[in-house]
Amino acid sequence: MRKFIGRFGKALAVGLISVWSLFPIAYVVLNAFKQHRDIFVFPPDVIFTPTFDNFISIAEVYPQFFGYMLNSLLISVSATLVCVVASALAGYVYSRFRGKALAASAFYLVAIRLLPPLVITIPLFPWVNILGLADTYWVLIALYAAFWLPLNVLIMKEFIDQIPRSLDESAIIDGASEWQLLRHIILPLSAQGMVACAVFVFVFSWNEYVYAFIFTIQNAKTTPLVLAEIMDSVTGTNYGVLFAAATIQLIPVVLLVLVLQRQLVAGLTAGAVKG
Amino acid sequence: MTFMLAGPAVYVLWLSFTVSNFGQNPQFVGWQNYAAILTDRYFWTAAWNTFIVVNAVVYIELLLAVLVALVVASLKTGRMLMFAVVLVPYGISEVVGVLSWRFLADPSIGLITNTLALIGIDFNWTLNPEAALVLITTISIWHHLPFSFVIIYAAIISVPNELYEAARVDGATKWQEFWLITAPIIVPAALLAIIFRYVFAFRMFSEVWLVTQGGPIRLTEVLGTYLYRTGFRYSDFGGAAATGWLMVLGSLLLAAIYLRAIYRSAFRDA
Repeated sequence: MRKFIGRFGKALAVGLISVWSLFPIAYVVLNAFKQHRDIFVFPPDVIFTPTFDNFISIAEVYPQFFGYMLNSLLISVSATLVCVVASALAGYVYSRFRGKALAASAFYLVAIRLLPPLVITIPLFPWVNILGLADTYWVLIALYAAFWLPLNVLIMKEFIDQIPRSLDESAIIDGASEWQLLRHIILPLSAQGMVACAVFVFVFSWNEYVYAFIFTIQNAKTTPLVLAEIMDSVTGTNYGVLFAAATIQLIPVVLLVLVLQRQLVAGLTAGAVKG
Repeated sequence: MTFMLAGPAVYVLWLSFTVSNFGQNPQFVGWQNYAAILTDRYFWTAAWNTFIVVNAVVYIELLLAVLVALVVASLKTGRMLMFAVVLVPYGISEVVGVLSWRFLADPSIGLITNTLALIGIDFNWTLNPEAALVLITTISIWHHLPFSFVIIYAAIISVPNELYEAARVDGATKWQEFWLITAPIIVPAALLAIIFRYVFAFRMFSEVWLVTQGGPIRLTEVLGTYLYRTGFRYSDFGGAAATGWLMVLGSLLLAAIYLRAIYRSAFRDA
């Protein structure tokens, strides 16, 4: 009997945790497939006839949406490339070399993350304007890449630490240059780490709100920003369309996480060991 | 490197002593910005709200993280799946998270509001600032629980199983196992989670901005939105920079007890 209660309690806990974690998202996705009149029913119907009308209406009701999604995609992909290349190279340096300057710069990398993003925007804003970068892709690409650089460098260092040094040494003896060593040994063997880092930056850039809110006006606006604007102006019949747009915004993240699960767990573990 | 570290911080400090037009042509004004902020009653509302919300977020989230981590770590099957389930909110944009919760708690049609109404609770965050702060706290916890969870979970699963087996052989009860083995392992991880969450929760902006924009009549303002409004709406960059410095100091001050605990334990080990 006690065992039964224990098992029941655990199942209940698992159920509660799942509802807490998944329900708000499931609710958005479900409502995206509901007809307008079904969305507002209380208690909500579990069984309903799904419809794609909301998705079809996005282009009509919010014509700007897909253009801004393209912005998001370009910005996120560029930020990911910049950040992963930089983190891999820096991770290699931190893993293989020692020195006072290096230790100081590692400390700096971590310390700078403690400043709130909003506080960072204050000194950045005048400079972004002087350089004419406001409302361009460049400013967001640079910010997103820089924002994840510190953690990704640490993750890459963990991964490269695991590659035995004897491999480096034999490559050097065989006459490989440092660049060849990197290209043929270090980078391929730390590919799993790079994939994890790439997903972290991409998901962050794809979802980010604060920097985009401050540094873009019109041309470089990203999807979360547009969703927020729609959310504030939405009225009755367009709720379903808003849910459909939000659902589309979720798709790339869900796909990435499903496909790259294993690499992500490896990356998280490397990060957690450090943290 | 020191220049790079000090650069932005000193620049913000310098801006906080100036009056400028969006950061251009700064004129030195000394402590004037700080005086203006510290006598602004909206600043104190924002500071008080931040204090309440941040503390609620940090401690409720920690408690939930420990409970969830204990449950997930005790599962025999489907552990990886549950781990993934708990992490889901972290991959979701704040905007979509707020969108969902705002709709769930919509005063007239929301699922949560209607359910609460059935048991006689009136929850209207558009009119009632306290209700709005509760909603904001909930969204923040929902969104960041995975962060604390990963830290605590990693600590819990680092305990070798033999330790529990040995304890069982010695006749320890489940309760004793928890207090004597699991809890001491969780404490350092919890300290770390608390420090990080104090620092991160203090900069809270999007949850508040997307839910209430700090209204009604700036009653739900937090320091993040106060800084934004001062800098970008009232174009007072000096005031915003000063708020920024007060924010950083505030978060460090709140986390100070825990920072000291970590510092001391590191010192003892050394």
